[in-house]
Amino acid sequence: MIPLSHYLIISAALFSIGVYAVLSKRNAIMILVGIEFMLNAAILNFVAFSKHDKFAASGQVFALFAIVLAAAAVAVSLAIILNVYKYYKTIDPTQIDKLRD
Amino acid sequence: MDTFTPETISLLALLAALMPLLSFGGILLVPGERNRGSFFSILNICTSLVLSVIVFIHVWQQSTVHQQIEWFTVGDWKFKAGILLNNLSALMLVLISLVATLVHIYSTKYMEGDPYIFRYWAYLGLFCFSMLGLVIADNLLLIYMFWELVGFSSYLLIGFWFTRDAAVQANKKAFIMNRLGDLGFLTGIMIIFAQFQTLDIALLFKDGGFVSHSLVQNGYWIFSSNQMPQMWLTFAGLAFFFGATAKSAQFPLHTWLPDAMEGPTSVSSLIHAATMVAAGVFLLARITPIFNSTVLTVIAIIGAFTAFMSATIALAQNDIKRILAFSTISQLGFMMLAIGVGAYASAIFHLVTHAFFKCLLFLAAGAVIHEMHHLKEKKALDFDHQDIRTMGGLRKFMPLTFITMVLASLALVGLPFTSGYLSKDAILIQAFEWADTKSIWAKLVPYSALFTSWLTAFYISRLIFKVFFGELKLNKAFTQQFSLHEAPGAMKYVLVTLAIFCLFPIFSSNPFHYEHAWIIEGLPVISGIARVNIFHTIIPITVNLAACFLIFIAYKWYAVAVKAPDFTNTPLFRFAENQWYFDTLYKNLFVDKVVALAKATFRFDKVVIDGIVNLMGDVGVLFAAISHWFDRKIVDGLVNGAGSLSKSIGNFARHFQTGRLQHYLVTMLLVVLTFFIIKYFSLAI
Repeated sequence: MIPLSHYLIISAALFSIGVYAVLSKRNAIMILVGIEFMLNAAILNFVAFSKHDKFAASGQVFALFAIVLAAAAVAVSLAIILNVYKYYKTIDPTQIDKLRD
Repeated sequence: MDTFTPETISLLALLAALMPLLSFGGILLVPGERNRGSFFSILNICTSLVLSVIVFIHVWQQSTVHQQIEWFTVGDWKFKAGILLNNLSALMLVLISLVATLVHIYSTKYMEGDPYIFRYWAYLGLFCFSMLGLVIADNLLLIYMFWELVGFSSYLLIGFWFTRDAAVQANKKAFIMNRLGDLGFLTGIMIIFAQFQTLDIALLFKDGGFVSHSLVQNGYWIFSSNQMPQMWLTFAGLAFFFGATAKSAQFPLHTWLPDAMEGPTSVSSLIHAATMVAAGVFLLARITPIFNSTVLTVIAIIGAFTAFMSATIALAQNDIKRILAFSTISQLGFMMLAIGVGAYASAIFHLVTHAFFKCLLFLAAGAVIHEMHHLKEKKALDFDHQDIRTMGGLRKFMPLTFITMVLASLALVGLPFTSGYLSKDAILIQAFEWADTKSIWAKLVPYSALFTSWLTAFYISRLIFKVFFGELKLNKAFTQQFSLHEAPGAMKYVLVTLAIFCLFPIFSSNPFHYEHAWIIEGLPVISGIARVNIFHTIIPITVNLAACFLIFIAYKWYAVAVKAPDFTNTPLFRFAENQWYFDTLYKNLFVDKVVALAKATFRFDKVVIDGIVNLMGDVGVLFAAISHWFDRKIVDGLVNGAGSLSKSIGNFARHFQTGRLQHYLVTMLLVVLTFFIIKYFSLAI
């Protein structure tokens, strides 16, 4: 039996990697990947905690929903990135700074 | 005749006076060409002449016309103004408008090409209006107003060429001198008003008027309930006379007239003939009853003295206009003398004859000056075109001017068959009659007048011979042969017209008896001695024989090539040449002191008054500087400080707005983390 804390540590690690990727990558796709990391960290938490769930596997159902949502979100995100690329001819987020003062 | 009621006649007279004012207003108010106005003003003055003649026909030797309207009311006392037309004013009306018309016509040529000629016409209009108004006004206050207007318009005309300093000095002098005289006139008016409570000439001075009803008793001058010391009667007379001395250029206020020659010659001729100088004599004639014997004696003496003095000055002058100016003063002296001896009819008679021949003399002199100036301009020579020493032999070039001027000169000398003979004779004879009953000193007056008329003969012959006879002196001076032209048409006709008026038939059917002159018959003659009196034979013969002799001497000296004796270094000549040093005397006595006073007050003004004002200004500027500093530094500082503070905060906050997605995310993350940390520790506490 793997203790719960192991899941949580892995989840925290995944989340941190995700945060790092989101904050440091110079490529929008990689940032998207970072977001997926963070999302999956959360999903992992759902699944891990579902063992202690009073109700029947509601955490896992939540996880399935989240995966579906993530997939939808990725589709939308990629579409946005494609449009951004069409407009700016780059997907480097450091160069897309039109909102600067 | 019935159509001319007194109302109509006075209306016509009023119109005659107002027509020249129309030229003044019309020319100055209606804009147009600079050379406008000649036709308009000649039309007006001709209308004025026609109206004057109509008035004259209906007034002369007929009933006096006196029309009044109420002018203003002070308390219970009503002041009336109106028109008084008797023989005297009707005569003056015609004289003034006639001479003015001729001068207007003459001016069209004489002033031709002047760049500001419209002003000339306008001023001339004002001048004629003032003079015409003066002679028809029926009360002393109105006369005083016109009197001032005459002075003012002469000021404008004398200084017509105001870019010349001499003209400015001359018109200033004329104006100031006349103001002095005006003071006298005003004083006289005040005394009259204090005594009689009216300024109406008809009431005051007619036969049986207020003045003749007032009497002098026990050293008091009494009229109805009013009385004042007798001295005031004399003083009033002297005050009026003082006013007249300024206008008629008598000693001691005569010095303005020669300087007034700076104006255009046509203006001089108008001033000397019918307007301005005639005003003084006219005034005295209007108010004759006010003069008591003391004042009359003073008038006679001043007149005789002025006549003599200016005749001697005229002997030594070289400027053609100045000779004539002094001659005018001299002839005015004769008129004053006539008033002084009680022969005011003769004075007016002489005024009229003198008006014509002096006007002619000036206009002829103007023609000469015109042509000399023309020559000077054409050949670009440098000489004084008014100096008779540069002229000579002009009779060959200007025969008509020569003949008319000789006629006028004969009239001035008073030779038989001229108008001057009649009037001058009248004055001389009456002067002798007046002195006959008086002390030996009084006899000086007529004898000096006699002597003066000889001097007159000499100085005018000198002028004529120097200008018209001999050779043109310019030829010698520039070693060239010059030739001049006769005056232009308009000027010629005026000269001829005036020359006709210098002859006796205009004034009297008998060339030798002045009593038959219609002017004398139309005016009250105070004293008269039968024709058989010895004066009537001796005086004209003496005058004319001596005059002929003097003319012959002048001919010998100045016309024939014989060298004239040179007097220029004798003290008497210098005395006369410098006009008896009156200008110098006045300059030292009054002008310098007034100028010094003016300079002192100017300095006071400059230093003290301006100093105070400037100090106030400086203090104000200082206060302003302080409040400016306060405003800048404190008030603006606060506002600007608030502004720059928010600006720097804004600038600081701006740095976070990088536009980079990841920076925002970091910030968000940090905030959330901070929130969690605070939450965590605050729970732990």
